[in-house]
Amino acid sequence: MKFRCERDTLFEALSSASRAVSSRSGALAVLSGIKLTLEGDQLTIVGSDLDLTISVSVDVGGDEDGVTVLPSRLLVDIVRALGAGAITLESTDGDMRITAARSEFTVRSYPPDEYPALVEPPTEGISIPASSLTEALRQVVPAASKDDSRPILTGVLLATEGDALRLVATDSYRLSVRDVTESAVLGEDQTVLIPSRALTEVARLLDDEGEVTLGLTERDASFRIGTTTVVTRLIEGEFPNYRGLIPDHHPNRMTVNRLELLDAVRRVRLLAQETTPVRLTMSSDGLDLKAITQDVGEASETIDGIYDGEELTVAFNPEYLIDGTDAASGDEVVLETVDALKPALIRTPEEPGFLYLLMPVRVS
Amino acid sequence: MRLVIARCTVDYQGRLAAHLASAVRLIMVKADGCVAIHADGGAYKPLNWMNAPNRIEEGADIWTVTNAKGETLTIVIEELLSDSSIEFGEDPGLVKDGVEAHLQELLAAQPATIVDGLELVRREFPTDIGPVDLLCRDDEGHMVAVEIKRRGEIDGVEQLTRYLDFLNRDPMLRPVSGIFVAQEIKPQARVLAQDRDIACVTVDYDELRGMESNELRLF
Repeated sequence: MKFRCERDTLFEALSSASRAVSSRSGALAVLSGIKLTLEGDQLTIVGSDLDLTISVSVDVGGDEDGVTVLPSRLLVDIVRALGAGAITLESTDGDMRITAARSEFTVRSYPPDEYPALVEPPTEGISIPASSLTEALRQVVPAASKDDSRPILTGVLLATEGDALRLVATDSYRLSVRDVTESAVLGEDQTVLIPSRALTEVARLLDDEGEVTLGLTERDASFRIGTTTVVTRLIEGEFPNYRGLIPDHHPNRMTVNRLELLDAVRRVRLLAQETTPVRLTMSSDGLDLKAITQDVGEASETIDGIYDGEELTVAFNPEYLIDGTDAASGDEVVLETVDALKPALIRTPEEPGFLYLLMPVRVS
Repeated sequence: MRLVIARCTVDYQGRLAAHLASAVRLIMVKADGCVAIHADGGAYKPLNWMNAPNRIEEGADIWTVTNAKGETLTIVIEELLSDSSIEFGEDPGLVKDGVEAHLQELLAAQPATIVDGLELVRREFPTDIGPVDLLCRDDEGHMVAVEIKRRGEIDGVEQLTRYLDFLNRDPMLRPVSGIFVAQEIKPQARVLAQDRDIACVTVDYDELRGMESNELRLF
């Protein structure tokens, strides 16, 4: 294998693909490598931990076709350290020589035939506008659980809702739902559960322009974004029946400026230490926020708002409240509550396809 | 426990020499012979100390504490402010909340919280290589060995694998399957368990104790 490539192009491609490379010790050693395949002027770079695979194709000046697997972190570090300009990579007897300007590195490669065969993504799929998916992922993915003991909750559910594609995530304390209307949908009753980790990588790769093609097989999902493809194993199992959790009627509605609420919670949170919640008292006078941490101190702030309902105090985990308020777009948010112990709902009038269900915290 | 508060100087002679100038200090002499010199500050660390066994020679104004290595702590008492002794009696030791033994006890009382239909056969079921935490029977009458840890790591899976190997040699018991139970199970341990057909179950300690969490859940 021999090719020449601009340092910035190669670094960007390596950085993307290397994010899927296994960091766990004890895994198949060759999976700590990154696979490079050169055919003509097309270089394909693949990183994988078998659950997640990221493949990036770039145009290079190819001299000699070939396949190699190089230590991922080392290769990224070397290319990062080189200055802008052309880099030449040439393999010789199990080594890869990397030269740029007056720098030269020789790196041992892994035997490419030890690299496992990876799933080929389907060529056809569902098209989703990149801008819609970017926004939907920003709104939904943070609500997915990070706790591996409940693997189903670490995924984001994709389902059909009317003529929209619905994304749902929950960690059992909050639930985020977003309908993407400008996209082709899955089949009727078809649902898939995609690991949130894979979607975080997809979000990182997305631009605001163009389209993403979502391909599905029985066990995998693939996202084609330009010349980059992300393939992930689907999570098996049944997602909780979230529909029954959303109360059909909320007697209390507090409408506030979204950024004012966000800033106020961020300030008051400073005195909500060690899992202390923030208490929200809603009345016709506005919204009072208060946090008290024993032996540390307390903080309070009032913001203006329009309230329809009975005076009520509800406590929330401040991080989850911030996530929900941040996920909502638009100038205003509506906080709908039933009582101090039932799930509250954050909506935004400007985006009917989004809702964020948030469980209160019990306080004395 | 003898507690002496005195204005004193302290000199240590051993691997190095250290001198504490004259000041009021607390001298603790524990029942096992340990001697510690404390200032009126800092959480737990003494300014100087001598681990037991020690020989304490107490003169009118000078104490000499000598340990087995011949190192000495010389305390010159300039002004005695307080001197009292209290008998503490037997110490029960530190009892940690949520230790495996308590988890085991709670799960033995409610094995169905691990898997529906599970019934306890015996706690600490003996094998040639040590006792299995719980031996249970599932709703189909098959034996199930349960290993309980606070934190589920690879070592715990290895341990259960060894127990299963021994239990499955017993024609009266086999086939015996395994369940690895912990408050939290590391991904690597989960992968290894899956590879060995061992089920993994995480349990909530507070829930088992019947303690209500302030964190309400959607489901």
